[in-house]
Amino acid sequence: MNDLLLRDFVTHLLEGDCSQAVKEAERLISSGYTAEQLVRNGIEPAAETLNEKCTSVQFNLLEIMLFGRAATEVMKVLYPGGSAVDSNKGTLLLATMEGDVHDLGKNITKMVLTCKGYRIIDCGKNCCISQLIDMAVKENPFAVGVSGLISSVVPKVRQIRQAMDEQGLSQVKIIAGGGTLKQLTPEQLNVDFVAETAFDVDRFLIEILGGENK
Amino acid sequence: MNSLELTLAAVTFRQANRVPVMPQVFGHAATFAGAALEDYIKDGEVLASCQLTAQKYYGYDVVFSVMDVNVETEAIGSVLKYNRNDYATIERYALSVKDDFDRLELPDPEKAGRMPQMLKALKIMKRYLNNTVPIIGCVLGPMTLATQLLGMEEALFLAVDHPERFMQLLDYTTNVLIRFGTTQLKAGAHLPVVFEPSASPAVVPHQFFREFELPQLTKLFTALKKAGAVFNWLHIAGPTQPILPYYQQIGVDIANIDYYVSANEAIQLLGDVCVSGNIKPLDFVETSAAEIEKISKKLIDDFETRGGLILSSGCEIPPEAKAENIAALVGAVQ
Repeated sequence: MNDLLLRDFVTHLLEGDCSQAVKEAERLISSGYTAEQLVRNGIEPAAETLNEKCTSVQFNLLEIMLFGRAATEVMKVLYPGGSAVDSNKGTLLLATMEGDVHDLGKNITKMVLTCKGYRIIDCGKNCCISQLIDMAVKENPFAVGVSGLISSVVPKVRQIRQAMDEQGLSQVKIIAGGGTLKQLTPEQLNVDFVAETAFDVDRFLIEILGGENK
Repeated sequence: MNSLELTLAAVTFRQANRVPVMPQVFGHAATFAGAALEDYIKDGEVLASCQLTAQKYYGYDVVFSVMDVNVETEAIGSVLKYNRNDYATIERYALSVKDDFDRLELPDPEKAGRMPQMLKALKIMKRYLNNTVPIIGCVLGPMTLATQLLGMEEALFLAVDHPERFMQLLDYTTNVLIRFGTTQLKAGAHLPVVFEPSASPAVVPHQFFREFELPQLTKLFTALKKAGAVFNWLHIAGPTQPILPYYQQIGVDIANIDYYVSANEAIQLLGDVCVSGNIKPLDFVETSAAEIEKISKKLIDDFETRGGLILSSGCEIPPEAKAENIAALVGAVQ
């Protein structure tokens, strides 16, 4: 649902204008909007607009980071205690694999998916397979996203499926992304999907959830 | 024609008996020669020895004095974590956004961090190769050094929130790179390749490139040419189509392109700029020699009418690449 009265709010978010987005959020709250309305009808549609804009040629990190910063600051205003809106879209684990400390892509993905309403468990960087599996057993995610910028993570990514299966987690989808991993196909990596951008992850998740979260 | 003559012919679009081939072999040279990557990126003698061994074995047309993307930032004060068989990573950045960028001192390439070891490698390779094979040094681009000094997020937010301060930082990084690059030329490099991944359109919009980056790169390449660079080589990965039309204006002679940019797009967008690329780096690990040969021959065919091609990978060939795949790339130009 799109709300015309939130148009300025969405515009400020899309322009990455942090202070204006926060001011507008405060104004809307004082005029009777709830925090959840601002998330559902402001932040999520703004993220969707970026999604549509982000073809492989137009995508750039700066634009996404500015949106992410503005959205994060607005969330702090909306939920000063830190308890964000309940997600009904399910839980994902994200991790940058062992041997790799380049986690900017993972952090961007986390921000985008959080804004889209998923519950994200961040396993951090330099994450080994056993940590990932332990967390999956504990949190029962419907998907796991792993990133890798350097080529030495490829053999580790290939092992995740089997490690998941051995723990009875065959239903959990595995998504790969990042500079090195996206040069390969899902078959080569033994995963379910290889994402070019954070928005690709969202599109795949919508698909596996049967489109009900559009 | 020797490798240097072949390269000069490709850059100036002159006839030659074959296309030069320059696989971006950096850490792979260590793996190939049986050296630890940590020794390779710390010790100029090890680096030179591995590069010369790999070049002699494969028979390609280049050697590189390239350690990693952290040489300059370490020389300025960033703290690195070294790994025995992997590249080093930054543990603590040298600068914060609160620092006064006007008061920063330029590192001395003869003394600071690993810079002297890179120079040592260049001197050894120059002595050995006797001006027959291009000896390529390396500096970061101004934007990439800024992100390596502050961290990517801090640097990009600084650019948006305080553009005038970000420009000050870019002025500083450009001066660091001019000094380092000039010293590499004196040590024996034919040129330093300029690695600028942070200016890729995958990171910043092309308008950002035009406003912030273009003046700095122009200044850097003008200074390098003046200091004796045989030609200017710019290496930006990702979907670079929107910024390729600026390359001639910047003074670029060789444009690295990777697999996001097709041969046709490069030809249309680059004018008379030589192209280096664009085979997927991971193909050297994942595919077969026959596949590398096929892709290489297709690329050579695509550029046959136009000329101005250096056959290469789109970015660094991974250290664990298969030797037969690199050999297939080299064999494709024969």
